[in-house]
Amino acid sequence: MDILNNLAAGFAVAATPVNLALAVFGCFIGTLVGALPGLGPVNGVAILIPVAFAMKLDPASAMILLTAVYYGTMYGGRISSIMLNIPGDEPAIMTTLDGYPMARSGKAAQALGISAMASFVGATLATVGLTLFAPALARVAIHFGPADYFSLYVMAFATVGGVVGVNPFKTLIAAFLGLMLAAVGLDPGTGIARYTFGTFHLYDGFDPIVAIVGLFAISEVLVYFETAHIGGSPMVPLGRAIPRLREMVQGFPAMLRGAGLGFIAGVLPGAGASLGAFISYTAEKQISNTHDTFGKGDPRGIAAPEAGNNAAAGGALIPMLTLGVPGSGTTAVMLALLISLNIQPGPLLFERSPELVWGLIASLYIANVVLLILNIPMVGIFTRLLSLPQWLLMPLVVMVSFLGIYSISHSPFDLLVMIAFGVFGYLLRKLDFPMVPVVLGLLLGADMENNLRRALSISGGDWGILVQSPIALGIYTVTAVMLALAFRMARRKVSPDPAD
Amino acid sequence: MMDRLVGLLLLALSISYGVTAGSFQASFGDPLGPAAFPMIVAVPAAILSLAMMIWPGPDAVWSLGRPMLMQGAALAVLVGYSLLLEPLGFPLATALGVSLLARLIGSAWLHGLMAGAGLAGILFFVFDWLLNLPLPALPQFLG
Repeated sequence: MDILNNLAAGFAVAATPVNLALAVFGCFIGTLVGALPGLGPVNGVAILIPVAFAMKLDPASAMILLTAVYYGTMYGGRISSIMLNIPGDEPAIMTTLDGYPMARSGKAAQALGISAMASFVGATLATVGLTLFAPALARVAIHFGPADYFSLYVMAFATVGGVVGVNPFKTLIAAFLGLMLAAVGLDPGTGIARYTFGTFHLYDGFDPIVAIVGLFAISEVLVYFETAHIGGSPMVPLGRAIPRLREMVQGFPAMLRGAGLGFIAGVLPGAGASLGAFISYTAEKQISNTHDTFGKGDPRGIAAPEAGNNAAAGGALIPMLTLGVPGSGTTAVMLALLISLNIQPGPLLFERSPELVWGLIASLYIANVVLLILNIPMVGIFTRLLSLPQWLLMPLVVMVSFLGIYSISHSPFDLLVMIAFGVFGYLLRKLDFPMVPVVLGLLLGADMENNLRRALSISGGDWGILVQSPIALGIYTVTAVMLALAFRMARRKVSPDPAD
Repeated sequence: MMDRLVGLLLLALSISYGVTAGSFQASFGDPLGPAAFPMIVAVPAAILSLAMMIWPGPDAVWSLGRPMLMQGAALAVLVGYSLLLEPLGFPLATALGVSLLARLIGSAWLHGLMAGAGLAGILFFVFDWLLNLPLPALPQFLG
C-alpha cells in the first residue's frame, strides 16, 4: 500500500509541533475570516500569503498554514449565513436559504451544529478523494510535454468562468488582461524589457502576491464604503450553545450526497466551491423536498450545500497540486504562493517534494478534526466576534494586508502598486468582470509563454507541434465543449424565452 | 453604454499592446523571441473587446455623491499611509491611518484614536517582535 506509507510519512511531517500549531492557528483565523461578511476564502488566503512568506516558513509549513485557513474559511462562511442572513463568503450563499429560517425559529445552535457536521463530512470525504485520486492523476500527467502543457493552460483560461459564469466575453477578456500584465518586465529568455515604461521598478514585473492582495483585499475596502449604508438582517440569538449529537446527524444521507456532488464540481476546472454548493442544494431539493419544507429551515437544506461547498474546496486542490492548473480562485492564490516559493506545482511535485504533498494532505485530516472542535463546542466565540464593530475589523484587515506586502519587499512602491490593483479590482467588480481569470493570467502567463517557446524550439519553429500530440488534441476538444457550453448557458440567461 | 465605452478602451489597449510588442527584438535565443507571445495575446483580446462593444451587458449602478467621496477619502488615506510609512515609522503612521479609517467608517473620534493606538501597538509587537519582521520603529527625523 503505497498510499498508506506515503500518508504515514505525511503525518510525521504534519504532526511536528510547528506544523500542528500552524494548522490550529490557520483553522482559527480561517473560521474567523470566513465568518466575517465580505471576507471569503480568497481574501483570507490572500491576506495571509504575504505573512506566511515573510515569516520564511518552509514550503510545506506555509502550505499547511494556508490550506488550514482555506478549509477554515469554508467552515466559517456558514456562520454569518445562519446568524445574520449574510453569506460570509460566496460559497455560503446557498446556506442562507434554509439556515437563516431555521435560526429564526429558535434553532440557531442546531443549524450551526448540522452545518459544522456537514462541513466535516464534506471536507473529510474530499480529503480522502484527494488522497486516492491525486497521485493517480499525477502519474498520468507525468507524460505531458510542453505542447500539452500549453493546451492545458489554454483550457484553464477558457474554462475558468465555469459553465455557469457571467458573461463569457468578459471572463475571457479578464484572462487576457492577466496575460498582458504577465508580460510586463524583463523577458526571461532574452533580457529585453517589455512594457516597463522606462522605470526599473517594473523590471521584475508585477508580483502576483501584491496584485492578489490588492485585487481581493483592497478592493473590498472600496466596496465596503459603497455598501456600508445598506443595513443587514438582525442577528438571531444563539440559544443553547452545544447541540445534541442526534440533532447534528440529521440529514446524514443529504451530507453524503452533497459531498459527492460537491467533490466532482470541485475537481472540474473552473467550477469551485460556489458551484459545488449550488449543485448539491438543487439536487437535494429535487430528492427530498416532498413536503415543501425547503427554504423554510429544513436541516437537509443546510446539510447538502455545506457538505457540497466543503467537498468542492477539497476537490479543487487536486488539479492545482497535480497539474499546476488551479480550478478555483483560492487555489489560484495558493498556486501563487507555491510559485513564489520556487516550487513548481505539477505532476513532478509528487516525486520531488513528497514531504510537502503528503504533509499537506495529512494536515488536512488534522485540520478537519480541529475545525470540528472549533465549530461545535467553540462556535460561540465566532458568533460573538461577528458583533465587533466594523471600524475595528476593517482597519485591521487593511493593516495586515499592508504589513504583509511591506514585510516581503520593504518597498513603499509595492504598496502603491497594491492600491492600484485594488482600484483596478474594484472597477472590474463594478463592470462585472471576474477577477480570478486576471490572477490566473498573471500567474500562469510566464509559464504559458515558456512552454510555447520551448515547444516551438523543439519543432524548429513549426506551429504544427501544438496539435500533434493526442493529449493536447484531447484537451483542446474538452476546452471547445466547455466553451460552447458556457456561451450556450450565457445565451439562455440573457433570453429566458423557453422557446429558445 | 458603459460596456461599449470600456470595450473601446480595451480595444485601444490591445492594439497598442500588440503594436508595442513589435518593437521587442532579439537576434539570439529561441525561434519565437520576446515579441510573439504578446502579439498572440493582443489579437484575441482585441477581437473580444470588439465583441463586447457589439453585445454589451447591462450597465452597472455607480454610487455617486457621498459613497464616492468616502471611497476617495479612503484611497487618500491608503496612499498617504504608503508614502508616510517610512518617514513617520510604523507605529505613528499606523495609528494615524487606522484612526482616520475608523473615523471614515463612522466611529467616534475617541474610539478611532483608541483603535489606532491599540492596533499600532499590537501589530508592531506581533510583526516586529514575535514574527521578527523588522519594521521602521521611529520617525526618520528622530532616527
